[in-house]
Amino acid sequence: MSIVKAVTCPVCGSLCDDIELTVENNEVVKVKNGCAMCESKYLGYKSEHRIRTPLVRKDGKFVPVSMDEAVHKAAEILANANYPILYGWSSTNCEAQRVGVELAEEVGGVLDNTAVVCHGPSILSVQEVGIPTCTLGQIRHRADLMLYWGCDPWSAHPRHLERYTSFTEGRFEDSAWKAYLQKVKAAAGKKKLVSAERLEFVKSRPRPQTQACTISGPPQTLKKDGRKLIVIDVRKSMTAEMADYFIQVEPNKDYEVMQAIRALVRDHELDVDKVGGIPVEYLEEVADALVNCNFGVIFFGMGLTQSAGKFRNIDVAISLIRDLNRRTKFAIMPMRGHFNVAGANIVSTWQSGYPYGVDFSLGYPRYNPGETTCMDVLLRGESDASLVIAADPGATFPKRAVEHMVKTPLIVIDPHMNATAMLADIVFPSAFVGIEVGGTAYRMDNVPLPLKKVVEPPAGILPDEEILKRILEEVRIIKAQKMAKQAEAA
Amino acid sequence: MITLSPLKKFQYPVMAECINPDVFKGKTTAEIAALSVWEGNKQKTLGDLFAIEETAAENPSIVINGDASKVRRVGMGMKNGEIVVNGNIGMHVGEKMAGGKITVNGDAGGWAGSDMKKGLIEIHGNAGDYLASPYRGSSTGMRGGTIIVHGNVGSDSAVFMRGGVIKIRGNAGPFLGFRMGDGTVYVQKECGTRVGACMTGGKIIIAGALQEVMPTFTIDSIKPKVKVDETETAAGPFYVFLGDLAESGSGKIFVSKAVNPHLSMYEKYL
Amino acid sequence: MAEMLIKNGFVFDPINRINGEKMDIAIKDGKIVGSVNERRAKKIDATGLTVMPGGVDIHTHIAGAEVNTGRLMRPEDHVKDVVRKTPLTRSGVGYSIPSTFVTGYRYSKMGYTTIMNPSMPPLEAKHTHEELNDTPMLDKASYPLLGDWWFVLEYLRKGDLTECARYVAWMMGTSKGYAIKIVNPGGLESWGFGRNVHSIDDEVPNFCITPREIMCGLAKVNKMLNLPHTIHLHTNNLGLPGNYATTLETMRALESVASGDKPVAHITHLQFSSFAGDGWGNMRSGAEEISKYINAHNHITFDMGQVIFTDTTTMTADGPFEYTLYELSGHKWVNTDIETETSGGIIPFHYKRNNAVNATQWSIALELALLIEDPWKMFLTTDHPNGGPFFAYPKIIAWLSSKKARMATLKKCHKKAQKKSLLPSITRELTLYDIAIVTRAGQAKALGLKEKGHLGVGADADIAIYNINPEKTDIARKYKTARRAFGNAAYTLKDGKVVVKDGEITQHVDGKTIWLDVQTAEQVKVDEEMKRRFKEYWTVEYDNYPVFDHYVKVPSPITVKADV
Repeated sequence: MSIVKAVTCPVCGSLCDDIELTVENNEVVKVKNGCAMCESKYLGYKSEHRIRTPLVRKDGKFVPVSMDEAVHKAAEILANANYPILYGWSSTNCEAQRVGVELAEEVGGVLDNTAVVCHGPSILSVQEVGIPTCTLGQIRHRADLMLYWGCDPWSAHPRHLERYTSFTEGRFEDSAWKAYLQKVKAAAGKKKLVSAERLEFVKSRPRPQTQACTISGPPQTLKKDGRKLIVIDVRKSMTAEMADYFIQVEPNKDYEVMQAIRALVRDHELDVDKVGGIPVEYLEEVADALVNCNFGVIFFGMGLTQSAGKFRNIDVAISLIRDLNRRTKFAIMPMRGHFNVAGANIVSTWQSGYPYGVDFSLGYPRYNPGETTCMDVLLRGESDASLVIAADPGATFPKRAVEHMVKTPLIVIDPHMNATAMLADIVFPSAFVGIEVGGTAYRMDNVPLPLKKVVEPPAGILPDEEILKRILEEVRIIKAQKMAKQAEAA
Repeated sequence: MITLSPLKKFQYPVMAECINPDVFKGKTTAEIAALSVWEGNKQKTLGDLFAIEETAAENPSIVINGDASKVRRVGMGMKNGEIVVNGNIGMHVGEKMAGGKITVNGDAGGWAGSDMKKGLIEIHGNAGDYLASPYRGSSTGMRGGTIIVHGNVGSDSAVFMRGGVIKIRGNAGPFLGFRMGDGTVYVQKECGTRVGACMTGGKIIIAGALQEVMPTFTIDSIKPKVKVDETETAAGPFYVFLGDLAESGSGKIFVSKAVNPHLSMYEKYL
Repeated sequence: MAEMLIKNGFVFDPINRINGEKMDIAIKDGKIVGSVNERRAKKIDATGLTVMPGGVDIHTHIAGAEVNTGRLMRPEDHVKDVVRKTPLTRSGVGYSIPSTFVTGYRYSKMGYTTIMNPSMPPLEAKHTHEELNDTPMLDKASYPLLGDWWFVLEYLRKGDLTECARYVAWMMGTSKGYAIKIVNPGGLESWGFGRNVHSIDDEVPNFCITPREIMCGLAKVNKMLNLPHTIHLHTNNLGLPGNYATTLETMRALESVASGDKPVAHITHLQFSSFAGDGWGNMRSGAEEISKYINAHNHITFDMGQVIFTDTTTMTADGPFEYTLYELSGHKWVNTDIETETSGGIIPFHYKRNNAVNATQWSIALELALLIEDPWKMFLTTDHPNGGPFFAYPKIIAWLSSKKARMATLKKCHKKAQKKSLLPSITRELTLYDIAIVTRAGQAKALGLKEKGHLGVGADADIAIYNINPEKTDIARKYKTARRAFGNAAYTLKDGKVVVKDGEITQHVDGKTIWLDVQTAEQVKVDEEMKRRFKEYWTVEYDNYPVFDHYVKVPSPITVKADV
């Protein structure tokens, strides 16, 4: 039995690196410090159905083949393709991503990562207005106002609040944990009461109905000293339950609300009484709270990037932060989902200049989301081969896109036999990144952290990086042979 | 006149910035056929992909007959001459155009007239997203010239517009004229949401329906009519809105009063 | 390994006082040797060509988190300069923030072989090193940003220089860094709450320390540790009118640390710190006052930070300065504050000839380089990409070596800037020998890189050969020829291998990463207390903080024996 300390958790973009694992007989048996997501990853990954050899589809059925055969077949598909796509990359390490860019360049393909369906839109806005941001520690030490917009860290990034924001002790700001503890206890008590009533242990008393819109005037807590937590969302999430102030915005009205706050921060008067269902007086209170903090931060999630307006929502959020920096100190940060989606953007950018949706078909990197992004390429039916790694577009892309992907040869590299793999022509099982193979990942604030190998992968299972390197090597051999043949013919 | 007809239905994107009257000028058919294009990741010649015919007629300089919806960058940076497309055309048609005329008798893909400086693009079908909008990260959009679209236009058109005129005879998608600084956009039918968001100058005229005006615009007046360009005036009356206040901007949005009675609540501020 | 002989070139090797002598250079196993077997050796005929040590760049932002965010935010910059893949080289993009491979290739084509990446937040050092691994053709090193690091502020406030020195030594190894970088000392910590310091005696909020104490303290620490380079300093008030006074005060303050003629500090991109006037309206050159002081003192070295008239991207750890630029330009603005350590900002910027301030900036850098008499003090940089992209260096060489060249540019500048410029009164023209100093020898010497910047026996065989015949071409008159030659090396040799011929890459080589292994008598105590403090200060574990050895592809550590 051994204990491995300071392990980086390969689940979400918070990339908590204080996980302590107990390993017995090449198996993780105990997880300390992790959240529920972390625990289920380390303890549960083994229970998933695991294939042990590469598979190739022959006559409609998967047949186990040798690594060499699978590599050769995959390389042949990619080397001969006229417009292949190489998609995924967020749940693997930077080392594999590096080889991925090189492979995409070698085969003249379109390289794209899953950011395109989560925070890719945010990047488009960064390219238009920039982004005033910081690392998470800066928020821990200094921020006295946190605003979570369109995201629910309590559920999706469970340790975000305790490690980096409201509930952490900073040099200049204290944890607001105690106050919340009382609130949570009260809430839990209420819930118990409700369930007891349901079970008819307690006689039900008439209670005011929960209002369809939970809007009420800003509470006094907005003016308190110390850390304040505001949540803006279309529904009352778990995080909203803990917040000092929750604003429920009408679905798809985030843009108008944010733009209105901007105008208010600039001391303009509005001609309307309500924006996105929220009375303007309340927005004025929020604007005041924003302007009067010492260090504020807005975290935004997919609730913002994927609601109507998409990347323009981020544009306006960042513009608000720009405006606020004229009055006080403010930062903004996307709540990145997959543990290394940030790394996929970073690696792609240093090698090619562009973060995702990079088209190498002309021999140089070209970037224009909407044109050079995989989903759009698939929807237009333009690609003639696909490599999918560390992602599951078969489950997440629109039907029409998946249909085209399946029509053309599909290569999948993944530790799981996921939906995309089930549709594939060639499947490479790979080692679990951050468990069976180490490497580097980037946290949501772009801080690089080392991943650890804590157990050995099953015999014969290779890391993503190794599989990609072999395919790349084979592609080069096939291309050289082709060139030689052409030269001979000439 | 050079007539180009696709030899097949294209699956992969075709990059053909060489289809440009300035490039063709003074070249024989054989030389034109030898011009380089890309089909997917393979470099080809124009002759590999198109049947090329020359006729004596002067105008238009280039005609494309057939479906060219995968053919991109046609007329990119052109300064003179005329291109007529009888069919659909792919993305980036007339990008960085500095003169001459492009007529599309069909639909155009995204980024038509992107970064345009001068000239005329007339699209008889629909136009895709990002009509006349600049490349990612750039803050200078269309600077001059005229674009007329007889059908509908996608989202995010006329972004960062700095000059020129765009006339949309059909509907326009959301975020029309985003961060626009100057120039005129005229929408004859329905206009999408968030029109003129973050605009600092220029004017957008909406003769059709508009669901709502951004809350960060303030009503200024009611005008009976408004000039689109030298040749056209839109008849009102129009509500005139100023904004975007979030950018302390002074752009103007003219919205038809007759079609949009729900905006009458703004009249109390007049 | 094969032996090689570069025959018959005009050799400019200032460290060995060789000034255009016609001679042969012998190479064996990647090093310069006294002689080789003439018959066996591969020969390069350098007849009629200029032979210099490979170029050394003391300050160029080419890798790391900030550079990469610059890349990410500027697709419109990349799209105008794309680089195709070849059988030998990777594809990429160029212009103001080139992708990593293109950075390596373009430096190599200019005959450069060693570069210093001057701005590395230790927390993100792994990122910097990952990018450096993908930056081929060059030897490279990075300077960790230490001027606003809480450990430094706290130990200096306590006056505990020894403990401070131990931590700096620890940090060099931990981040795999080469020199102490200080940016707007005190200003970056203040920027954590949106404030700044405005003089070298302003107190840093919450830390009871002044910029003067930080600079002088770290300069002393630098001496105690015997680091090969001095502290590398970006001054307070950088980029603001009237800041030449701050710069003079800074230089005077550092006199207290100096002893003898050995430099104790390097003030980088001096142009940005030499503005006179009290507002943008009457901003003018402070070059005369600054150069007068420098000509009378020897305790500091400098580099230019030349401005190039083009669209570029400014990026610095000086967050508050970038905010000032944002307020001036309204452009897209990136700010990235790094917990416990530093900050950073990025703004695209277009320097225009017809802008009086920009044109004056262009003039200031040249005035400084020409008025500072000793070329061993002032080196050629653009503070890439802040003043302009590095591949504009040949232009600067032309301006420095040809009055005709600089007057041709000045003539096209804003009238107000022309009138105020000191350039018409300056006749000095740098010779090829001077150019060799300001582009390699001087930089290598200031950096303490003993095997770089010269062609003596034992030096690394990093060599640039340019198509200039000093007997036939007077670079002061034929400045366009010089510009072409310095932009496209006839040959670049890296560790004795020909990697560029006639301005084209002939071989892809990795290049080494250099860092300091500073050995102190007593090391930082890594105990539970230290780990606890670490956990309090940063949001990552102590165990995950260091740049582990596997993050460096071709390691080349230099061992330094410290006095503490």
